[in-house]
Amino acid sequence: MKVSSPQPLPGDSNGHKVHFRQIMQKLGPLFGLLALSGVLTYLSPYFLTMDNIMNVARQSAINSLIALGMLLTILTAGIDLSVGSILALSIVLMGIVVVKLGMSPIIGIIVCLGVGVLLGFINGVTLTKLSLPHPFISTLGTMNVARGLALIVTAASPISNFPEPIQFLGAAFLGPVPVSFLLVLVVYGIFHIFLNYTTVGRYIYAVGGNPEATRLSGISIDKVLIIVYTISGFMAALGGLVLVGRVNSAYPLAGLGYEFDAIAATIIGGASFMGGEGTVWGTLIGAMIMAVLRNGLNLLSVSSEMQTVAIGIVIILAVYIDVLRHKAAAKVKA
Amino acid sequence: MRKGLFSLMATFLMATLITTGCGSTQTQTKKEPDKMKIGVVVKALNSDYWKIVESGAKAAGEKYGVEVKVLGPNAETDVTGQISMLEDQITKKVNALVVAPSQPASAIPVFNKAKGAKIPVILADTDAKWDDKVSFVGTGNFNGGKLAGEYFGKKVAKGGKVVILRGALGDPTHDERANGCVEGLKAAGLEVAVIQPANSERGMAVTVMENIVQSKQEFVGVFATNDEMALGAYKALEAAKMNVPIVGFDGSPDALTSITEGKLNASIAQSPYNIGFKGVEAAIKAAKGEALDKRIDTGTEVINKDNVKQKSDELKKILGK
Repeated sequence: MKVSSPQPLPGDSNGHKVHFRQIMQKLGPLFGLLALSGVLTYLSPYFLTMDNIMNVARQSAINSLIALGMLLTILTAGIDLSVGSILALSIVLMGIVVVKLGMSPIIGIIVCLGVGVLLGFINGVTLTKLSLPHPFISTLGTMNVARGLALIVTAASPISNFPEPIQFLGAAFLGPVPVSFLLVLVVYGIFHIFLNYTTVGRYIYAVGGNPEATRLSGISIDKVLIIVYTISGFMAALGGLVLVGRVNSAYPLAGLGYEFDAIAATIIGGASFMGGEGTVWGTLIGAMIMAVLRNGLNLLSVSSEMQTVAIGIVIILAVYIDVLRHKAAAKVKA
Repeated sequence: MRKGLFSLMATFLMATLITTGCGSTQTQTKKEPDKMKIGVVVKALNSDYWKIVESGAKAAGEKYGVEVKVLGPNAETDVTGQISMLEDQITKKVNALVVAPSQPASAIPVFNKAKGAKIPVILADTDAKWDDKVSFVGTGNFNGGKLAGEYFGKKVAKGGKVVILRGALGDPTHDERANGCVEGLKAAGLEVAVIQPANSERGMAVTVMENIVQSKQEFVGVFATNDEMALGAYKALEAAKMNVPIVGFDGSPDALTSITEGKLNASIAQSPYNIGFKGVEAAIKAAKGEALDKRIDTGTEVINKDNVKQKSDELKKILGK
């Protein structure tokens, strides 16, 4: 559904029938996740165990965080291809600062997140101020530059043995629950409030939903885009921090291909490439569906080739549903 | 209508899962439930090398009557994908794990998790600095590279320079092979002309080799850290009408054919079949609580025109071609 007013609110128009549709749109991915879990519970005795649920929570955390930044760019009808490379450069620079130079973990974490913010900011600025035609270009450039720099600064070898505080987010547990998953829940809560109840958050939806109307209503699209890409860079670095805890090492090829997992999670979660549509919780479920699918197929000893095929099919089905939904919405309007 | 679509999606997923998954569940239920389970997680299953490791592992499984599952991510660079697979094997409570870690340092937290779950871990093909490993089964890529460097010593005159084509920067397997070759060359009184990455690809190796030829760099031999790149380098040098010994790595079927035809000079071969077979053998012993050597050598050898016929026959038997 295209937003036609400059200040769109969810479920603000077109009566009961569309409202029902919107609820279904939000719940659709959740049903998908539940159905998938049901099937896997039936097929594998190991799937629905506490240990394994916590496994999935851990395995989905990094993608969940990165996908959240990706969601913002997709809401503005954009994309961020550089997240995997930003992740790599952030963590290897943190590795150099902490492990090689022996500085305090706090400085390391600041460096890590700071690099993410800086690269994201650069993405936003090159997109808007250089008037590059599409974020595909600016972020594709950053993707290569950051990956190359990550290889250069590390001389292509991994950095290991991080101090405890840096590993906390990725390795620690609170009782049986991984801290990384708690982090995901907290960050998603914050983003839910940010996107739905703050002016900037509403502008992000508006920019993607109807850029022309947004511009006419006096919102600075450039500013919104710079904020969006900066946040995406920050989220990539945060995902990196979790990864470092998970593997106790920072390596220059970290995050290879993560951009596609993140895009897949947002799309499966109901976000539209046309912009203006998608929710944080949908994205979380999208990331969970991918993690559950991979975990379940691992438990069933299905080859990774087959897993890749399965994820590809899920993406196409999810987007096809999106297309049908747009057609149906257009019919209602006409 | 949408409801219908979602159920369609769910049904489809179910169908996919059932068709792909039921093979394994059936075999699980057919045999007695107490049968020992060994999980083998390799770096990827996309090359002949890992396919041969897999057939070795499965042969050991058949010989000893244990259930062996061989898994690996789509690419050797998918480090976290491999770690997730290991976690899932721990959840499955396998009796022992045989692991070829893509990024050894990164895998240590999950190894510790296995240890916590009382699952013995055997490292295969690639070693890791982890004190609690039961054993390392393999030869190591460093030693293979060194063997290649030393081999050039027998083929070319002292003081000559050798080009090294390597896999992607940051890929530890290729770091080790390249570093090993540098050391082997030094020991043989030879020098390195240049080390260039060609990302383990035949096509890219052609380009890289063409550029090296264009640069008028002098060299008397080429070492590639896998056979694909060696074959690519041969293409480029053939076009440039240059005839220098080219040595690959892996002993892949294509490379053996090329050696037979007198094109590639040699390929360094670890014994992937033995790595798989002895890895599983060690895992079975470990699961039973038997003592094991900390290091089980599976051998590395040079395949050249002298022994290529015998090696190809063996390989054909293993791959069932």
